[in-house]
Amino acid sequence: MIESPARTQPATPSKSVAKLSVDDLHLSYGDNAILKGVSMQLSQGEVVSLLGPSGSGKTTLLRAVAGLEVPHRGKIRIEDKPVFDGAGKLEIPAERRNLGLVFQSYALWPHRTVFDNVAYGLKLRKVGGGEIRERVDTALKNLGLGHLGERLPHQLSGGQQQRVAIARALVYNPPVILMDEPLSNLDAKLREEARAWLRELILKMQLSALVVTHDQNEAMAMSDRILLLNNGVIEQQGTPEAMYGTPETLFTADFMGSNNRIEGQVAEINGAAARLAGEGWSLWGQLRGTAAKTLKAGSPATGMVRLERVRLADGPGDNRVRLPVVTSMYLGDRWEHLFHLGATRLRAYGNVQLPSGEHWLEIPRSDLWVF
Amino acid sequence: MRAALPRVVVIGLTALAVFLPLGLIFYQSALNAPFFTPPRVIGGGAFEFIFADSDFWDSFKNSLIIAAAMAVIAVPLGGILAFLMVRTDLPGRHWIEPLLLIPVFVSPMVLAFGYVVSAGPVGFYSVWAKQLFGGVPWNVYSLTSIAIIAGLTHVPHVYLYSSSALKSLGSDVEEAARMAGSSPFQVAKDVSLPMVTPSLLFSGVLVFFLGFEIFGLPLVLGDPEGHLVLATYLYKLTNKLGTPSYHLMAAVAVCIVAVTFPLVMLQRFLLKNAGKYITVKGKAGRQRPLPLGQWRWVAAAILILWLFLTVIVPLSGIALRAFVSNWGEGVNIAEVLTIDHFREVFAQPTLVRGILNTVLIGVIGGALAVVCYTAIGLATHRKPDGWSRFVDYLVLVPRAVPGLLAGLAFLWVFLFFPPLAPLRSTIFSVWLAYTVVWLAYGMRLVSSSLLQVGPELEEAARSAGASRGQVSRDVTLPLIRYGLLASWLLVFMIFEREYSTGVYLLGPGTEVIGSLLVSLWATGGADMVAALSLINVVLVAIGLTVALRFGVKLHD
Repeated sequence: MIESPARTQPATPSKSVAKLSVDDLHLSYGDNAILKGVSMQLSQGEVVSLLGPSGSGKTTLLRAVAGLEVPHRGKIRIEDKPVFDGAGKLEIPAERRNLGLVFQSYALWPHRTVFDNVAYGLKLRKVGGGEIRERVDTALKNLGLGHLGERLPHQLSGGQQQRVAIARALVYNPPVILMDEPLSNLDAKLREEARAWLRELILKMQLSALVVTHDQNEAMAMSDRILLLNNGVIEQQGTPEAMYGTPETLFTADFMGSNNRIEGQVAEINGAAARLAGEGWSLWGQLRGTAAKTLKAGSPATGMVRLERVRLADGPGDNRVRLPVVTSMYLGDRWEHLFHLGATRLRAYGNVQLPSGEHWLEIPRSDLWVF
Repeated sequence: MRAALPRVVVIGLTALAVFLPLGLIFYQSALNAPFFTPPRVIGGGAFEFIFADSDFWDSFKNSLIIAAAMAVIAVPLGGILAFLMVRTDLPGRHWIEPLLLIPVFVSPMVLAFGYVVSAGPVGFYSVWAKQLFGGVPWNVYSLTSIAIIAGLTHVPHVYLYSSSALKSLGSDVEEAARMAGSSPFQVAKDVSLPMVTPSLLFSGVLVFFLGFEIFGLPLVLGDPEGHLVLATYLYKLTNKLGTPSYHLMAAVAVCIVAVTFPLVMLQRFLLKNAGKYITVKGKAGRQRPLPLGQWRWVAAAILILWLFLTVIVPLSGIALRAFVSNWGEGVNIAEVLTIDHFREVFAQPTLVRGILNTVLIGVIGGALAVVCYTAIGLATHRKPDGWSRFVDYLVLVPRAVPGLLAGLAFLWVFLFFPPLAPLRSTIFSVWLAYTVVWLAYGMRLVSSSLLQVGPELEEAARSAGASRGQVSRDVTLPLIRYGLLASWLLVFMIFEREYSTGVYLLGPGTEVIGSLLVSLWATGGADMVAALSLINVVLVAIGLTVALRFGVKLHD
């Protein structure tokens, strides 16, 4: 099997040394700034996701690490060796960074067999023929492709092509493996299976991986840590649980899940709690992030609550509102109900279809975030 | 489905213009004497004669050698140049591209003459080399030189096809190779060029095929040492026998077509497969040029050396020769500078008429040709039936007939059918021959414009109630008007450059610069040839400048 360098070498003296560290990276295309000072670290055996909407700079950051884009400021170090330094004018070209990159399109060479695709990196490293065969065979077997070595890429299914792309990036034991939207080219159905398989592979091989994705579920499922990028800067970073459960900004809260967004005014503040009110309704929530300092009674504010936290209630009570149901949509495993709260659409899940008319909804105080 | 009348007329006229001359060649080759001599006897006498002539076999062998050498030289060089220009961050690549294409638009006759005055025994560069090294280390009149020059001047043809294939290649496959650890030239060798193998193969066959057609280069450069190729053998048959030996010429023509036609069919087959690897690619992102790093100097050196040998040497020679009264060892340039050659050109009515005709045939003739090509294009546009398939093959047929033969065939058409005879001494005869010879080229220009019109735009007009004719007039034509203007410019340049097609049609009233150059060269008027060549280059340059000014894509 492919062994990561850390397992074949004796433990490195300083275990805290990051596999990859990026420091204050700036990059722009002409006048268009893409990265505006991004710093991050990746430790041995860690999976970090770069998450963000399109245009946030996540792919650019990955490509800058790979050496395919040239930043104009900042530092990049791989295993504590500098590969880019904007101040020292150091730029190691992509081919000498010894990283593995799995492309979104897989970028398999269509004129080479699966075996030759995987073997290419070893050939360039002047590995002997016998050893190449052995290592490529092992890599293919590890990825469940043992019997496909002689095929051409176009003779493979999408899932198999993805595995070849991963084998090709892993075969020369790069210190860090970079993946650009590794699952986005797969069919929706295949994607969840592949996600579990990829997570298992990363754990089994103790890979240090940097994964770009635009899908928050994918990011949460696959990674130990998520970096959420927004407009060229890191909006928030943390474990998947922290990113989903305790977002610090409206952007993070909005990006990480399915939400109801309620616009209103702060009616009163009581410590970390705030009462958000609009025409004919008023709900208690908790102030998040910088909102605790900036919001005052009377200022406009946004309430945010995850869809799954809105409960149907059978009568009046604490933090409940009575709203007319507009429609119920059947989703297979549950129903999604649509209510109107003034001009705002409020959605909630339920187990049964609701009769038309007004219903009580409860939004627990701790689940309504006010920004 | 019954075809509409205009469509039948267009397709019928095209078929007539293509098959009539070609048919005459075949008919004439099967006669034992020229068709106008009364006892017309069918027989294989013409073929027996040329097959018994050792010159025929020598020229056949030379054609084969030159064609093969051209492919061997042009394909790797054209592929590398295309890679450097399209895929890398080579400095200055945007302004170099038009220079690269110059050999496509400059007449080979002019280029060949340029090599003679630059690198011939007493050429400018030869004399300078002699002063430097004490001798001239090359001989442009040898078969090897002819083959090398032909190879170098056909690099752009390979460049055209491989660059358009390389352009449609995603950057990701190259980046994947870089991530695996390969240097820029390894990327070209292991990934980019192998992925466009179908296009390289196609252009290899194309160059080999063009090698069988070349006329101007071997006519000028092969003459001093007597190296004949098939086209020049055919041209010199008349001199050989002293009488118009049309049956022999037709027999040689049939032999040439017998080689070129299968090659054209092979090209068609290969072109269909040209996208083979490219279709496999995934989502191609933004194209990113590959940084060459320190390799850029090697790359620039390859490019500059090729440009020097192929463009600068011949063109600088022409430009210089046009302004000196004589040249040789020990001549001081400053003392022999003159504009007498141009005075002389403009003093000769034939030459003035030739220049005027060349401009007319490019501007007006080019426009009329584009009109014809568009009519044919519309006749088959989005009508996938038997007629369209027939036209598909029909436009390829003239491709297999070298210009010299096509001109000859049209001469026979005008001689054979008395009602057409008055047209023979008008420029119309030359225009008709040009238009048919460049049919395949023009059709490619027009149909690539037509294909850019989204089918749903035409379908929307149909469902709004427009007839096919109204759709063409109100939707398709207005949408492709800029494409047609661009085609006009390109056809203009090609018509300015054309030389061999007019050779047999040359007469009072039908002079064009191209054919005048061939005939002046035969009578040894180097001064006139230089001046006229320069005028020809200037005409092409004007076309090129206008094209670049308006952002016309010189190729797809």
